[in-house]
Amino acid sequence: MKIITQNLLLYALLLLIYTVLFRFGLSSLLDAERWVWVLVIAVAYGAIIFVTAWMTGKRDGMNNFLFDAGFRWNLTTGLVWGGASEAWFLLGFHSAHETIRVVHITLLIWSGFLILHLILFLILRRRTIKGVHKTNIFD
Amino acid sequence: MKPDEILHKELLAAWEETYKKGQLTLWIFLSLKEGPKYVSGLQESIDRFSKGTIHAEEQSLYRTLRKYYHLKMVDFSAGKGHKGPDRKYYHLTPLGESLLHSFVERNILLFFEEPLKNLLTKNP
Repeated sequence: MKIITQNLLLYALLLLIYTVLFRFGLSSLLDAERWVWVLVIAVAYGAIIFVTAWMTGKRDGMNNFLFDAGFRWNLTTGLVWGGASEAWFLLGFHSAHETIRVVHITLLIWSGFLILHLILFLILRRRTIKGVHKTNIFD
Repeated sequence: MKPDEILHKELLAAWEETYKKGQLTLWIFLSLKEGPKYVSGLQESIDRFSKGTIHAEEQSLYRTLRKYYHLKMVDFSAGKGHKGPDRKYYHLTPLGESLLHSFVERNILLFFEEPLKNLLTKNP
């Protein structure tokens, strides 16, 4: 039973690709001041992350019986998004309308949600035996 | 077929569907109690013991055995395959054996005691 699985790595890779494309699109559209399209790609980016996370998470659950209440996916999303966004700014690819402060504030809020998610996981973990949820042992 | 017979058939199928959920462990454990088995052999045993009423997919068995291995209920050793690579022969661990014993004692053997035994064999 692994913590870092093929499905999680696949999710991280796809998320990295989506994030780079999103950052490129966002910076280009902000420079062009096409505000409606900024909203469109932001919604599309969120939707595709959700679908990809749901699909890879479901596939992972079929092979991996480790119970984590989705925490590994949430943490991966934060790390990949944060890493890619920070790199985007450090490499100077961002638009004049973007500031790194927005990334830092988002990461701060995200960290808060991650802590809440971790607490939830630790509470739910009481219902597991050696990392397997009791309801999934004899299913 | 009469409406009552159709209803009987439908209700029986629905009851069996619910009843069979969670039964796989018992059939796996009973088959492994007979002796170590590889996955296909286990599948055949379950089919034979349950008189074809329980059918476990190979993938489902692999997944279940991996989980039971993680929980130390089963273990495996490598054995000769039939004209092919070595197979994993699964067997019950002492924990698996004692778990099966406790489960059977608490949930199965009571059906062999009077008056339940009489009720179960009494025809309507």
